Amino acid sequence: MDSAIRIIVNGFPETVPDNIAISQLIDRFNEGDTDLIVEHNGRFIYPDFYMTTRVSPGDRVEFINPNFGG
Amino acid sequence: MTTLTSQERLRYDRQMIIPGIGEAGQKKLKQAKVFIAGLGGLGSVSGYYMAAAGVGHLRIADGDCVEFANLNRQILHHTPDIGIPKTESALKKLRALNPFCVITALHETIRIDNVIGLVGDSDIILDGTDNIATRKVLNSASVSLDIPFIYGGVNGFNGTVSTFIPGKTPCFECLFHQQSDKTQSPGVIGPLPAMVAAIQSLEAIKIILEMDGLLTNRLLLIRGVDMVIKKIDVPKNPECPICGPDMEKRQNG
Ligand SMILES: [Zn+2]
Repeated sequence: MDSAIRIIVNGFPETVPDNIAISQLIDRFNEGDTDLIVEHNGRFIYPDFYMTTRVSPGDRVEFINPNFGG
Repeated sequence: MTTLTSQERLRYDRQMIIPGIGEAGQKKLKQAKVFIAGLGGLGSVSGYYMAAAGVGHLRIADGDCVEFANLNRQILHHTPDIGIPKTESALKKLRALNPFCVITALHETIRIDNVIGLVGDSDIILDGTDNIATRKVLNSASVSLDIPFIYGGVNGFNGTVSTFIPGKTPCFECLFHQQSDKTQSPGVIGPLPAMVAAIQSLEAIKIILEMDGLLTNRLLLIRGVDMVIKKIDVPKNPECPICGPDMEKRQNG
């Protein structure tokens, strides 16, 4: 069985499988809103790297709605 | 050579006494030309601050006319302005605020086929638009003309700001290439565009004064409901279709 780790998602503690990819976190925590941007430990992650960016214990991940009104 | 009249010295005294601005900085502001794209909630505030600071030349563009639903946040426009072009309304207020500021009003909607002409020989593009598509048009002009683009956006109680310098930092397209172009009119509470546009204006002034410490390679995120304000680091996108290596290769032949 995969070991579980604790990370922070959108400011709340969550338990997820170790080494989970950002793309899997998106599936887990969102309803497929492709327009959200992803912050991982204070860094913007490009969609091309969602599959290859993996999280470690204590990491912070936020899904953010960018703003385009004026 | 640029000179300042005694009236201008009086008008700008409180900023000219700041170490780092002084007479030399004020002359840089007077020589600068800034393009304000859109005269809504964001452009209202950046228009006021650019004119008030003594930016010598403003090019202001908007194809819309003033509507009642603009007035909760677009503070350049007042009730008697309903129905007139936003450029005309803005011109009236900004001229009254600072007659030393030369203003070119462009009553046109910004599009890919007219953007270069609208921006003209401006030194900076200040974003006051309300959609992704127009921002991508402004970004392409920024990259091809090699002038900074200062992005600001709002939605509800939230705001986002970042400064893009061609050749040095990521561009708008780097970050938002994959964003769909939703045509939506989000709710906006007035102080949010004011906060965002004040930060954009400060960035423009810092660029004109050749100061460091710009909001580059970072996105500033403002969440007004709980006053969480934070920055996230943004690396350049090597795959960017606008400023990526393919584009540079094409430009260099
Ligand atoms: Zn780019």
